[in-house]
Amino acid sequence: MQRLGADKVTVAFEGLTALSEVDLEVSPGQIVGLIGPNGAGKTTLVNVLTGFQAPTGGAVSLGGTVLSGLKPHEIRRQGVARTFQGGRLFRDLPVIDNLEVTGIGLGQSRRAAIAEAERMLDWVGIGALADRIAGTLPYTDERRVAIGRALMGKPAFVLLDEPAAGMSAAEAADLAALIRRIAGEMGCGVLLIEHNVGLVLDLCDPIAVLDSGAIIETGAPAAIRASEKVRHAYMGTAADSDLPVLEVME
Amino acid sequence: MAKRTSIAGRTIATPLILSALLLAFALLAVMVGSKPFNQTIIDIFLRVILVVGLYVFVGNSGVISFGHIGFTCLGAYAAAWLTMPPMMKQTLLPGLPDWLIALQLPYWAGAILAALWAALWAGIFGKVLMRLSGIAASIATFAMLAMINTIYSNWEDVTGATSSVVGIPILRSIWPFLIAAILAVFIAWGHAISRTGLALRAARDEPTAASASGIDLPRERLIAFIVSGAIMGMGGALFAHSIGVVTPDTFYLGLTFITLSMLVVGGMGSLSGAVLGVLILSSLIQALRWLEAGVSIGTSTFAIPNGVQEIALGIVMVAILAFRSAGIMGNRELGWPKARPVAPATTGQQQPELNKGVSK
Repeated sequence: MQRLGADKVTVAFEGLTALSEVDLEVSPGQIVGLIGPNGAGKTTLVNVLTGFQAPTGGAVSLGGTVLSGLKPHEIRRQGVARTFQGGRLFRDLPVIDNLEVTGIGLGQSRRAAIAEAERMLDWVGIGALADRIAGTLPYTDERRVAIGRALMGKPAFVLLDEPAAGMSAAEAADLAALIRRIAGEMGCGVLLIEHNVGLVLDLCDPIAVLDSGAIIETGAPAAIRASEKVRHAYMGTAADSDLPVLEVME
Repeated sequence: MAKRTSIAGRTIATPLILSALLLAFALLAVMVGSKPFNQTIIDIFLRVILVVGLYVFVGNSGVISFGHIGFTCLGAYAAAWLTMPPMMKQTLLPGLPDWLIALQLPYWAGAILAALWAALWAGIFGKVLMRLSGIAASIATFAMLAMINTIYSNWEDVTGATSSVVGIPILRSIWPFLIAAILAVFIAWGHAISRTGLALRAARDEPTAASASGIDLPRERLIAFIVSGAIMGMGGALFAHSIGVVTPDTFYLGLTFITLSMLVVGGMGSLSGAVLGVLILSSLIQALRWLEAGVSIGTSTFAIPNGVQEIALGIVMVAILAFRSAGIMGNRELGWPKARPVAPATTGQQQPELNKGVSK
């Protein structure tokens, strides 16, 4: 089975190690969580996995193919998609064109790209917004457009960078249902990077915890809840209660 | 979901309206029947070609280019090489190969080949330049302009160096210039609605997200650079045929800044803005020229002092940029008047509407 993997990935800037020998693996249909305090290196890892940041050590691979060294658009064409914090939509373009651009980037014909974009907008629940200018959307709809754009061409893996930021509990629950469908119906492997730890515990298995550029714990939600190291990373000290930190991190 | 009309069907109004506007200017020149006015309108059409050519790259990529007039220079000299009488070339440009000296093509064939020549060099320069972004790319395009100017100012046997190259057949008819301007508008429109145009406009606003969408940004920029280089080359050829004489300095800083100014004032992200920027600023320049020359009202003559033209133009440009920083058109295009249905948002709070939007 084709897996997306980071193998001892290290990113070191002058005097600062952003990632230190990080191992991570995502399989098709799996929802893997990646959590950690601010500055832990989560987005840096996503950038390495998608070619926006070159690792100074280690490698990223997809099945037997080494992705490190490829450009971001080449990695996307290999089937590894991502979203960004804050959406990064093409704000001047209509919603449908936001998705069509990915179809074009993947080499689809214009007609095929538009047809898939229409189907995808319906699939993520915003078909009625196809002709709206993306920059005029509320942020919850923006997130769905960003996810729909990433899912064009049915990628093997999608990396969601804080998709629930700023959402209410009800909106986050809707998003959780969508993410389950991405893994379940599309068979797409999902790496979910979130500050909403409750959402991650609910959706993901396994969960990796990143702190100061290193993976300090990987395991099932129950193991993460029980981990002293995780508590320490979030609180700075071991707490007595049963991982209350995870509720305050929203 | 309702069946969508094609993007060409939704946007065809823009080049049609712009072409009608240009045709109106041509008909005005014919009706007035004065030679100086005819030349004024020809100059306007030439600027339309150059500014639209510039728009194809700058407007779609968002990268400011200071070098495009270099392609105009390449086109103008190519037209001279291809259309001047062999005797003149033998005397003024003896370094040209014999076959080129012997060749004398009609102006339209020369213009087509000049466009291809400029496109070829746009491809060569662009292969290197399009890997750059932002101010680095802009400075590199300026270096390209300086390089072309230096070569053409010094290669005496082939370009005549800084001397004027005379004897280029002069076109007095307004129609070739109108047709070329309309052709430039349709090429720019065709590029904007193409796959590469859409990808480039997406990347203009969010290059990172475009790369993550599979867009090969240097490649898309290179295509736009070549298309715009070809239009600038065609404009250069017709420029040469409008005055019958070329020098390298005709195609340097002055023309660079007037074309860029017209694009910025009209709206860099809009084809309509490119054309309207030329028409509005050129009309203003012409009106001020007339006022400087003096206008008879009854028995008295009213005239404004010489130099007011430049001052007034500067004030207008500052005012437009101060109050409409995205130019007169912003990112909008001219279209048929109609109500646009807007679907409601599904959830959440509405963000403020931005002063943007492309008519599609």
